[in-house]
Amino acid sequence: MGTDKRISGSPVVFRLDHDSGVPTYLQLVHQVEHALRLGYLKPGDQLPKVRDVVTALTIHPNTVLKAYKDLEAKGLAAGRPGQGTFITGTLEPVTLPELAGLRRELLSWLKAADEAGLDEAGVAALLANVTRDYYGGHASRPGNENAGNEGVA
Amino acid sequence: MNIIETAGLGKNYGRTWALRDCTFAMPEGYLAALVGPNGAGKTTLLHLLVGLTAAAAGTATVLGGLPAGSRAALDGIAFVAQDAPVYTNLTAANMIRIARNLNRSFDPPYARARLDELDIPLDRKAAKLSGGQRAQLALTLALARRPRLLILDEPLAALDPLARHDFMGTVLAAVGEDGVSVLMSSHVLAELQRVADFLVLLTKGQVHVADTVEDLVSTHRVLTSPAGSADRVSRKLDVVQDQRGEAQAHLLVKAHGPQHPVPPGWEAHPAGMEELVLAYLRNAGKTGPAAAPSKPTASTGAAR
Amino acid sequence: MTALTLATKQNDAARPPRPLPWRRMVLVTWLQHRGVLSGVATLFGALAIYLGIMGLIIHHAWTADMGCHPASSLTCQDLAQSFQTRWHGGATIAFPLQLLPALIGAFAGAPILAREMETGTFRYAWTQGFGRTRWVIAKLALVGGPLVVIAGAFGILAYWYFGPLVAQGPLIPLDPRTFDLECLALPGWVLAAFAVGAFAGMLIRRVVPAMATTMAVVGGLGLAVGLYLRQHYLPPLIIPGANGPVPSAWTLGSWYTGRGGQVVSGYIVNAACPGPGPGNSTPGAPPQCMPQHGYIQWWSYQPASRYWSFQGIEAGGLLLLAILLVVATIWLVHRRAA
Repeated sequence: MGTDKRISGSPVVFRLDHDSGVPTYLQLVHQVEHALRLGYLKPGDQLPKVRDVVTALTIHPNTVLKAYKDLEAKGLAAGRPGQGTFITGTLEPVTLPELAGLRRELLSWLKAADEAGLDEAGVAALLANVTRDYYGGHASRPGNENAGNEGVA
Repeated sequence: MNIIETAGLGKNYGRTWALRDCTFAMPEGYLAALVGPNGAGKTTLLHLLVGLTAAAAGTATVLGGLPAGSRAALDGIAFVAQDAPVYTNLTAANMIRIARNLNRSFDPPYARARLDELDIPLDRKAAKLSGGQRAQLALTLALARRPRLLILDEPLAALDPLARHDFMGTVLAAVGEDGVSVLMSSHVLAELQRVADFLVLLTKGQVHVADTVEDLVSTHRVLTSPAGSADRVSRKLDVVQDQRGEAQAHLLVKAHGPQHPVPPGWEAHPAGMEELVLAYLRNAGKTGPAAAPSKPTASTGAAR
Repeated sequence: MTALTLATKQNDAARPPRPLPWRRMVLVTWLQHRGVLSGVATLFGALAIYLGIMGLIIHHAWTADMGCHPASSLTCQDLAQSFQTRWHGGATIAFPLQLLPALIGAFAGAPILAREMETGTFRYAWTQGFGRTRWVIAKLALVGGPLVVIAGAFGILAYWYFGPLVAQGPLIPLDPRTFDLECLALPGWVLAAFAVGAFAGMLIRRVVPAMATTMAVVGGLGLAVGLYLRQHYLPPLIIPGANGPVPSAWTLGSWYTGRGGQVVSGYIVNAACPGPGPGNSTPGAPPQCMPQHGYIQWWSYQPASRYWSFQGIEAGGLLLLAILLVVATIWLVHRRAA
């Protein structure tokens, strides 16, 4: 049929991975943060309108609002009544060479884990555990949507 | 304020009771999914709420106390019946004119703008539109009435995946922009799982669950235990579903109160929506209808 | 919520909103049924043009023939009597016209509600703000009304058209072939047929079966009235005599009585007092034969002067039937569970 030519009016456009087990609103937050790091978004840019996100991804508008509120709480965005939500903060940019370096290190770590006998599920569990400890309980909390998809608590 | 409230609602056709002893309340501001197998009574319940059918027992009120089917109720509720009936020999433009005359409040520019966005031509007869386009037309005519409550009877059943996506997108955009409450029925849960924040489960004419998704998820847990001790513990808890292996048992339990007591040696996981719904539907006959499952005036959705 | 808002909300709930004005249904009904309305109007229009042209021709010939001088001359008498032989074809239009009420009932009346029920659009219409009972009343009135008006005008035209044929023959005023096409009877039939169609449509809830049923019922009713009922609107007049009532009367039947007043079969009378043979080959019995045997021939008939009474009675009865059916239809709509 051809490309969907609707341009959202924002520099970024969201996508959703239903099978990832990550709550929807969190996926949106992460995508904004990721875009900030990589320079797709700069302060002053407008985030996609709630209406556009809702029609594109068929999610509840409250989910989008929750994500935007989360970003506001982190000081990254602010809503302007009647106009939309705009980026107000920045994150430490991670340059592409830095990213490549981190990726290499992660791969060698995985090789070491594999040699030690840890399989994919074990790696994921270890990672979830350590990230939770490091970030202080942000990622998974009972009562969030899709909580049931997170598997073993 | 409860946008829908029923008490002992029942409807029979001859000797068969399509709906029986139905009591629940849905607060305003939610997008509710009415889920149940075919023949559960979903259409009967929706028809009772919009006044297409008269109750044989009990009462139904809408929009904060108006009798279902009364003139004031009809003004504030927009309904799209199964298969989205429209006048097939009329154009969308003429359907807009008809809708404007049949209703106290109707917004023709809104309707035309929405149809334009959806690329639905105003001057083509409805018979020549695709199924998805006809459903969108019916939905647009309903939303243009600026209702406080939108009721949809299996709107996605006959639509292809793309049409379903577009249809839900329109509903969700209206929820976001106009604050309309929605009650939509389906016999497929998956399509509503991501978007509904209130759930009503109907099986064999009776309501088994009617609560916000938030409350449902927070009040249910799956307890995994050794099979031996399952019986002893399950007597003390409100067990919705009991799955046994030879050595292991999973009990889906409902907590009545803030504590979630977990017997020692047992594991507790949060219950997923689909797991929860299937458990209730499967075990409906055994557990019977939930007794007054929802608080009459639940807190508004603002705290989500 | 402030106290003021709370008070307003309670007032709104206490006082139901006023119903929407009836005139809103005009556009709705027109958009939905303009096909049927314009179709019927076109059909009547075409027939009216035909009747108008043919009627003028017949009237012209009639005035010409009647203006013949002197009226008592043989040529003029001949002309007057042959009028009906020359123009009897003008009456044949009555046969297709007899089908009009049944067709209108089936094509205009039956689909109005049957289509809504069959396609499920009633679930749309009855959940709009207008309300289902007022909706059906408006629909029936806004479609039935124009049909009756058109039929009324056409009935007057038909009365004019058949005028010469009634005055000179071969028709009579109470002629079953044309009586129900004229004046008050035709709009009565159209109204009743429309009501039958609407009721059948709401009862049967499928368009084609409702149309078929309507045609059968209206056709059957037409036959029943024409063949059996109309004769009895007023008690028939009865006269004795060999010649029967005047030609313009509607002769219903004749029988014989004998001495003592009992009915005697025509065979016996003919055996005793045979009439002339075919082509006057044998003379019949003398005129005193019948009184000598004590036989009297009786005739029952409806006089032509009762034309307007009968029109009124027929139209009145059909109106009553239509009202009953319309009330029943509205009741069905009011009660129908979806």
